[in-house]
Amino acid sequence: MKKTLIAALAASTFAAAAHAADPAELERRVDQLSSEIAALKAELARMKAEKAVPAPAAAAPAAIDIARATGEAPKLYEEAEKTTFFGYGELNYYRPTHDTSQTTADAARVVLGFEHRWNDRTRLVTELEWEHAVTSSEDQGESEVEQAYVEYQLNQNLSTKTGLFLIPMGLLNEHHEPTQYYGVARNFVETAIIPTTWREGGLLLHGNLDSGLSWDAGLSTGFDLSKWDATSTEGRESPLGSIHQELQLAKAKDLSALGAINYRGIPGLLVGASLFSGKAGQGTPDFPAPDARVTLWDVHGRWTPGSWDLAALYSRGHISDTAALNVTLVGNPTLVPEDFFGWYVQGAYKLWSRDETSATPFLRYERYNTGSKYATLPAGLTPDALPTEGVWTAGLNFYLNPSVVFKMDYQKFRQDTTRDRFDLGVGYQF
Amino acid sequence: MGRRAASSAWFLVPAALVAPAPAGATQYLKVEDAQKLAFPQADAFTPFAYAPTAEQRAAIDRAAHAHATAGDPVIWRVSAAGEPLGWFIVDNVIGKVERITYALALGRGGAVRSIEILEYRETHGYEVRNAAWRRQFEGKSARTPLELGDDIRNISGATLSCRHLTDGVRRLLALQDLVLK
Repeated sequence: MKKTLIAALAASTFAAAAHAADPAELERRVDQLSSEIAALKAELARMKAEKAVPAPAAAAPAAIDIARATGEAPKLYEEAEKTTFFGYGELNYYRPTHDTSQTTADAARVVLGFEHRWNDRTRLVTELEWEHAVTSSEDQGESEVEQAYVEYQLNQNLSTKTGLFLIPMGLLNEHHEPTQYYGVARNFVETAIIPTTWREGGLLLHGNLDSGLSWDAGLSTGFDLSKWDATSTEGRESPLGSIHQELQLAKAKDLSALGAINYRGIPGLLVGASLFSGKAGQGTPDFPAPDARVTLWDVHGRWTPGSWDLAALYSRGHISDTAALNVTLVGNPTLVPEDFFGWYVQGAYKLWSRDETSATPFLRYERYNTGSKYATLPAGLTPDALPTEGVWTAGLNFYLNPSVVFKMDYQKFRQDTTRDRFDLGVGYQF
Repeated sequence: MGRRAASSAWFLVPAALVAPAPAGATQYLKVEDAQKLAFPQADAFTPFAYAPTAEQRAAIDRAAHAHATAGDPVIWRVSAAGEPLGWFIVDNVIGKVERITYALALGRGGAVRSIEILEYRETHGYEVRNAAWRRQFEGKSARTPLELGDDIRNISGATLSCRHLTDGVRRLLALQDLVLK
């Protein structure tokens, strides 16, 4: 481009000179031309020199270099959107000791999840679960959306969850990964009474204070009592597990209220309580228990001094106004209970560890009753209360590392001894 | 306030919930504030150019039996009137899926003076901000054991954050012992 510029300038100068008739004028113009060419040569040399020396790098230095150079803070957080995958799984072997023909091996759960963060305070949490390996019309497996909620951080101590979220109750429901609990299967109280993994759709407000106190309050979908199947034993295994809706086209006329409070202000200590209550008739036409209300609450504690891990929990449920419904169900094996409860105490001790590997034996005793009281029916039709089951579980969690655990245990039932069994399992989390 | 006015005031609650939150909702403490908090008597925080060799990095990992999971720390030498007071280190660890940014203050001898959580972004586990939990690190050094469960009590429901912060501190103590001494 620069050469073109010089040529054009020279051509115009010569053209002007050709039209000058006066020799003196011609000489003056040749001199002018010479000086202009000299100036252009100098300019060209200067430009070439500039080109030979590269300009300082324009890229912004890394945050850490800024910090080193200035002593100021490095960039502490990322503004960019980010998607992260996580998951957990458990594969188990159950061998009833009195009837080994019932022995089963099962890919009990394989869970994949992801978090997507749009910005510093808004994120999506999604958890997708497959139970029992295969899901089809001919198989017993299930595929489920276990969590799908948008979390919004209102300020440093207050956040909301909107969508399908886990109910903050007990020790297990929100923290149910296999590395988080002792024993191959989850304890009976937090499956039969608290229907872990229990989730509902709604809005949850979560707050935490610097003192170590945290609280939850929310409004959500609840149970559908019209689903009760008196011909099945499912309601006897877990009353609320048989009528939960899991946001699968959930009947939502009657919403439930929930609340929880937990204290973790002393290192190693957790004490807390929670409550969930809501009507379960859901406006179902001609349903005999339109005003039935399900209420479930729990108190829990965990103390982890040194190598010890001690936990206790009590939970109690109540379903009101069930007499009119049960009258229509008399003669079936499973009527709707009015009361159900359970509690457990558990002790674990880290006996051995080397680097990331550790072995923790544990012992748990639990008592639970899924039908401790039934509503009074006329003419002696009231069902007898179920016997309270007691279960001892002794076993070992062997952590290959904190994210991979091999488990074994033996479970001894006090009422139904045919259920005594030996279990093996492997669990992981990432 | 009349009954009508009182009941209509409830409509303000959702508006209050979506009102703009203060900037940096997950940033609890700025570096300069954490520096003043950890070393109130200091008059100079001099950046230290931390550029470990591969051998040093391997030695730190071995001593701490923990790897850096979220980049290298940023380190300042702390002094007052020319007298060294210790070190101030800002580091990141991954909690479950997000970075936890924390500041560790070490005395001249390499013992922990304090630890502060500067930023926390995870959905769960924010209880590691609790002062009583953080105080458990005070006095720990490269020569004292520092394992979650045995030496630092766990917080139920915040296990991953507790473990990875404990790993991070153990790694910084090894770094101080091997590189900053």
